[in-house]
Amino acid sequence: MSIFVPEPTSERGRGDAKRHRDKQKEVLKENLPKVIAEESIITGGQGKVKIPIRRLSIPDFRPGKSDGGDVGVGQGDGAEGEILGKRPGKGKPGQAGEEPGEDYIDTEIEIAEILELMFEDLGLPSLEEKQVKELVVELGWKIRGTSKSGPWPLLNTKRTVQEGMKRFWFLFEALKSETGIGELICFSALKKADGIFSEALLLLQNAVLLPIETEVVPFPILHTDDLRFHNIQPDVQYQSQAVVIAMMDVSGSMSQEKKYLARSMLFWLVRFLEKIYEKVVIRFIIHHTNAKNVEEDVFFKTGESGGTYCYTAYELAGSLIDTEYPPAQWNVYAWHFSDGEDFSTDRTVEELKKLFARKINMFGYGELRVGETWRLLHSLSDSELFTAFSKAFAVEKTEVDGVRVMTGTDEPLLGIVITRKEHIFPAIKQFLKKDRWMTHA
Amino acid sequence: MPKPLDIERLKKIEKRIHEIAQEWGFLTTDIQFEIVGAQKMLEGMAYMFPVNFSHWSFGRDYEMHRTVYDHTGSGIPYETVWNFTPPVALLVETNPFALNTIIIGHVYAHVDFFLASKFLQLGRFFSDIADETYYAAERFREYEVQYGKDEVEKTIDAGMAIWWQQHPDLFFEEELDEDIARDRLLTTEREKARPGKDVASQFKQGGLEDEVLRRKLRFLAERVPPEPIYDLLGYIARYSPLLKSWQKDILSVMRNQARSLAPQRKTKLLNEGWATYWHVRFMRRLFEEGLLTAEEHGIYNDFHAGVTRENKVGFNWYRIGLALFEYIEEKYNKGRFGREYEACEDPVKKAYWDTHAMKGREKIFHVRSFYSDRMAIEEFFTDEFIHQMQLYIWEAYVDEKSGETTYYIAEKDPAVIRRMLTRSHTLYGIEPIVIQNANHNRSGHLYLNHLNTDVELDPKRRDGTLFHIFTLWGKPVSLETNIDDKRVVCSFDGKKPEVKPKPKI
Repeated sequence: MSIFVPEPTSERGRGDAKRHRDKQKEVLKENLPKVIAEESIITGGQGKVKIPIRRLSIPDFRPGKSDGGDVGVGQGDGAEGEILGKRPGKGKPGQAGEEPGEDYIDTEIEIAEILELMFEDLGLPSLEEKQVKELVVELGWKIRGTSKSGPWPLLNTKRTVQEGMKRFWFLFEALKSETGIGELICFSALKKADGIFSEALLLLQNAVLLPIETEVVPFPILHTDDLRFHNIQPDVQYQSQAVVIAMMDVSGSMSQEKKYLARSMLFWLVRFLEKIYEKVVIRFIIHHTNAKNVEEDVFFKTGESGGTYCYTAYELAGSLIDTEYPPAQWNVYAWHFSDGEDFSTDRTVEELKKLFARKINMFGYGELRVGETWRLLHSLSDSELFTAFSKAFAVEKTEVDGVRVMTGTDEPLLGIVITRKEHIFPAIKQFLKKDRWMTHA
Repeated sequence: MPKPLDIERLKKIEKRIHEIAQEWGFLTTDIQFEIVGAQKMLEGMAYMFPVNFSHWSFGRDYEMHRTVYDHTGSGIPYETVWNFTPPVALLVETNPFALNTIIIGHVYAHVDFFLASKFLQLGRFFSDIADETYYAAERFREYEVQYGKDEVEKTIDAGMAIWWQQHPDLFFEEELDEDIARDRLLTTEREKARPGKDVASQFKQGGLEDEVLRRKLRFLAERVPPEPIYDLLGYIARYSPLLKSWQKDILSVMRNQARSLAPQRKTKLLNEGWATYWHVRFMRRLFEEGLLTAEEHGIYNDFHAGVTRENKVGFNWYRIGLALFEYIEEKYNKGRFGREYEACEDPVKKAYWDTHAMKGREKIFHVRSFYSDRMAIEEFFTDEFIHQMQLYIWEAYVDEKSGETTYYIAEKDPAVIRRMLTRSHTLYGIEPIVIQNANHNRSGHLYLNHLNTDVELDPKRRDGTLFHIFTLWGKPVSLETNIDDKRVVCSFDGKKPEVKPKPKI
């Protein structure tokens, strides 16, 4: 018969739970290329997303064929063949973490957490905003704080009176303790002496004063020391803002799958930029034979037939920069997604040179070559645009994790060829390399 | 806001429950009820013991329980009671009074089961697991400081992969000491071969028989281990050429924990059924005696309904266990047993069969003392009971395109259901795997044998386990098992897993 309340103990579970989370993150990190291409992330928006993560368990000798479905004993009404319930699939087979025989739980994870993992994977430290080019914008003058001197028009009467009141109380108390006389008489003397302490003291010491005043009504006593002036400073704002100008070829050759890749790439680029800039704006331009500014949903949905003039998009991007996003105040990242087809590469190169002349931070070129994977990568021939860019600009060509990369040595140019989902991660890694987004800061 | 728990009232009601329990013939003892916060209860559920060593798998379960608790927040309708001497149980301070009352009744029945069941008596026999676990947790922390957290974790991970691998017969004590085991076997063989006094033996002399015996003895003398061993953890902790003494300590603590808990795995249905059967009766009685208000009785009803809810794709121990004891009780009260009843082929007569034998109460106490779940299933999961319970076998079908899983009723034949349940309660999910040879290839390799020849192991888990055994043994590990109805040998040599057909001898 012992019911008792034991001493409380510290929470052990939390530490061990963290260890499990850390181990999950290790697994997540290994699977990053798959995870970041998850559709649920891109459609889930910002903040937290749900992705299937393996609930780690210790393996043991347990019956089970890898291809076998589940079976068990249940209870309730119903005839043979009756359907008891359905559970939606956890993504298509082959997607992140979809391996048979494992337990999965949909775990909520913050996009920021995934970004952190990506940086860790890149060996980048946690980013601080300081590393980014801050733009100084002058806005005129601004009152900021007070000072003890200044021109009369800038006298801060409120603060000055406050200081005067403080002095009143200080002198009043000093008078009382100095003379030992009652407070109404002290107050009368101080008032008669116009707040001058020595005079009030003399009055009290040399004359017999009657309490003229009937109550203590404090008044400000001002010395030069008590004056307070508004302090003014030039008003500048350190703005860290960036604009992403997303351009996409919507001609007939751009399939839904290619657009998905573009969308996924853009999603992560913007998430990254949001981490380092206070404000990030995205503008969308679609083009086929001519270009136009559109809203986001139109950007990803539009499909047109016909040919392709890329320069039209660059031209429009240029005028957008000139009118709305002057590089003196904006960090400009222009990205063009295309399948490499262009009917007039000469003019395109010309327009791109103009973009570089505007001192943009970066021009990214994402070439989407999905559906051509039946060819071996090395036999995937360079597209018209890719060839044109590499001829027109000084570039280095490399291949990283199966992704063909072109890096401008003189201009902030980055070209990436993506042939499948798994390429998004290495492609973004290319972008995240510090010297790229920091360009001419 | 929940009302603060009235501890004085709870003490009174616990006293009354104790009295009623004695009146009903329960075995009982001084149970330690600790009133704790939700956190400690959730930890107790996750860590298997009130205090246990640190491991991420416990943390994972804790977080899972915690999430469920945080999202429902209606109290914790679970009881946690340990088969210690004396038994320890937890009550959550924020639980409604009625819920804590159910739990006290439920725990009294569990404790009776602990004390009476031949299987659970065994669970207390191995060691004083409460103290051992408490001190082990401290020692393991020191190991973490001394040898590194990762090293300790690696050892625990590996131990957990095989800690349930034990002899299928709980009462069988395997001899781990090789010399003793060998001596015993050699003596037996020699005794068997000694000429007896009967006439036939007098004429058996020399020749072939002697040669067979000599070979047998030589084989036994060289064989390591002398007899196949089910207790993988025990054997490896003792004979691994690799393990340091602190690792052996960790493994033997884990082995004791698993052995002390194994009997509970084999009596879960009966134990939970027993506790549920009696908490219903405790609550009824307390309400009749005016010790619970009508409102509290309502709260009890809700919780009870929740705990015993029908599960369409799972086996609810509480619901089925409760029904099982009620079924047995009725069966024996009405005399529906014995040769005459079994021989009766008239279904109408059987349906109205009632000899007023009134043996029900006696029988259920007998079952709680001497039966395992498997024995109960074989004897009492009759066609009639399976129909009553509306049991069926469900299957899941995964659509390859959408990944959608569909669950459907696949089978309602009671014979098939009984076979499936008996099967899963024969081994309780633990495949019979023995250490066949600890000096395989004469190079100290470990050779395991999966004795079930018609069960295929989950390949990923199988290879993962071999990896863990390798970390403990330090030399290549092989497992003879089945794939597609053929015997194969899966091995891991520290680099990658390999599967080969079993060589023909």
